[in-house]
Amino acid sequence: MTFLKVIQWVVWKDLITEIRSRETLSSMLFFAMIVILVFSFSFSMDQDAVRELIAGIIWVAFAFTGIIGLGKSFTVELHNDCLEYLQLSPAPKGAIYLGKMTANLLFMLTVEILLFPLFVLFFNLDVVEEIGLLLLIFFLATLGLSAVGTLFSALTVQIRAREVMLPVLLLPLAVPVMIAAVEATRGALNGAPLSLYSQWLELLIIFNVIFTVASFWLFELILDS
Amino acid sequence: MSLLPSINRFIRHIQRFKGWFGGAAALCLITGMYLGLITSPPDYYQGEIVRIMYVHVPLAHTALFGYTVLFVGSLWYLWKRDPLIDNMCHAAAGMSAAFTAVALVTGSIWAKPTWNTWWTWDPKLVSFAVLLMILAGYLMLRTMVEDPEQEGRYAAVLAIVGGLDLPIIYFAAEWWRTLHQPLSISLRGVSISGDILLPLSIMSIGFTLLFTYMLMIRTQMLYLVNLFDAKKGRLLSQVHLSKVGQ
Amino acid sequence: MITIQSVQLSKSYGFYKIFEDLSFSIPAGECFALFGPNGAGKTTLLQVLATLTRPTSGRFEILGYDGITEKPAIRNSVMVLAHGSYLYDDLNAVENIQFASALRGKSPTFQEITRALDFVNIGAFRDLKIRFFSAGMKKRLGLAKVFLIQPKVLFLDEPYNALDDAGVGITNDLIRDLLKKGGTAFMTTHDRIKATQVASQTGILRQGTLHPFNLESQTTNDLS
Repeated sequence: MTFLKVIQWVVWKDLITEIRSRETLSSMLFFAMIVILVFSFSFSMDQDAVRELIAGIIWVAFAFTGIIGLGKSFTVELHNDCLEYLQLSPAPKGAIYLGKMTANLLFMLTVEILLFPLFVLFFNLDVVEEIGLLLLIFFLATLGLSAVGTLFSALTVQIRAREVMLPVLLLPLAVPVMIAAVEATRGALNGAPLSLYSQWLELLIIFNVIFTVASFWLFELILDS
Repeated sequence: MSLLPSINRFIRHIQRFKGWFGGAAALCLITGMYLGLITSPPDYYQGEIVRIMYVHVPLAHTALFGYTVLFVGSLWYLWKRDPLIDNMCHAAAGMSAAFTAVALVTGSIWAKPTWNTWWTWDPKLVSFAVLLMILAGYLMLRTMVEDPEQEGRYAAVLAIVGGLDLPIIYFAAEWWRTLHQPLSISLRGVSISGDILLPLSIMSIGFTLLFTYMLMIRTQMLYLVNLFDAKKGRLLSQVHLSKVGQ
Repeated sequence: MITIQSVQLSKSYGFYKIFEDLSFSIPAGECFALFGPNGAGKTTLLQVLATLTRPTSGRFEILGYDGITEKPAIRNSVMVLAHGSYLYDDLNAVENIQFASALRGKSPTFQEITRALDFVNIGAFRDLKIRFFSAGMKKRLGLAKVFLIQPKVLFLDEPYNALDDAGVGITNDLIRDLLKKGGTAFMTTHDRIKATQVASQTGILRQGTLHPFNLESQTTNDLS
């Protein structure tokens, strides 16, 4: 019972802080929009090239904005030594992890849902039929990024060169998520039958299960000695 | 707690025999080279070029063996918190990275004449490239933490997450390739005859022994560096503490 | 009954030994004040005892629980008032207290929180974001948390910094109240006069070892 309460309070704290300061979401959104603009300038794409490349562009934008959000997730805890309080509280560290991860997932999904219409608009995508499936793919892949990302955000925030180290450590580990997300998104956007890319959704689910459980246990070793 | 001194003693004990490991490694490698480079037949398709396989494949195997040592050692360190195990993990990671890098380079040299390209998105290549990045991140992380205890703990966490991730990376790359590339010319499927298998396994054993030999030296080195730091620290902190009191 | 028991406790950062082989015990109902020059390792000792940092060697017990293997049990009955205020800038006073209590498995009512804030005389600012709080107000908010949560053991790191006279009075009242209920306090401070009002045991940490320290007979020189 306390376990669920702690998760709930950590999520509530992160959301209410964000609603009041709007620091994380606004920086993520702004960065993502620049990424979209840069991409649309760098490739002059016809409709065929868009079909081939757009899934990759979408996920590069999502992953890098995600890293901005994940990095901020624990730097805010450094102010007034709040991280120390999280460490000192008798609350189960796993609950704190799940709360932080949920909050990160919500931030990243919010940004993705706000950005996706821009992709649709700029790159002339046809998404009406597959929108439910796309949202499922976004959710699964973002959960994977957030599961590993929250762990490494808590790790890198306590070391030197933290802004550099988060992507350096996180991106190689997120390779399966990225491959699966890009392939599944491409399949859905091209209107391919689900059976052709359902294996990627399975891979995402397996990744999420393994790394949510692993990070849940390892988080205690990151936050606590 | 009772296991800890015995394991520590075991490592110290086995360190004394490291010369035997080095000698056995040299013996295996020389025999393997002779068999692989001179007595084994050239490949029907690839000719003499195939001989790089006798270095490349054992190197890759040894790199994975190194990561296995790192993975098990990291779990062990988190359980026992013995600094010697931490030194061993550090050593294993550095050498695994070196073996991975050389395996990638030899693979690239092999790929040029056979596949007519330096690099291809083969799942094994992708997995090894990602492995190298994880190990590079691991070694970088170790330089970014001040407290040795914290350093060992964080490094172990990264090694464990990476170890869980590697099979998934391999499968993802494998599925990805079957989607995008028709199978290129590859050794897979070619039946491996005894002429090839014998030198290949001798080289694999030789490199594994070489890895173990180097692991022992490197572990001992890191341990001595820490010991030196501690001794230096004892002297320095006497100076430091006497100054604080003034 | 012994509350805090330390056996040959040592801590070093890399090759800097902070303190070595500290053995002492603090019984229930007593307040221990730790003095010592800057850089002597007072805060590090407090952090080790508060289960924030692992000791390099040695062991300690708090309320009979082992300091390394039974941390959750210790954390349940211990509170720390440190240099950082542990407050979130974008939450107001009430929300901060709610969050901090929730992590300790407590859910105080609004009336209880208001009473605690009134006790430390910042009830008027209960809806103000912490961003606009002064250092002293943040310190008082920390005291309000102690008043509300009523820990068995209290660790205070330089508790009198940034506090006005009334704030010092509140701090000492809280400590006295805690001791009366059989609790234990451990503080690091430079302020002999304020600390003597509550402390029953004192020590001075110097050159990595703990010396007994008699408040009456020593001169101010010995402190620094």
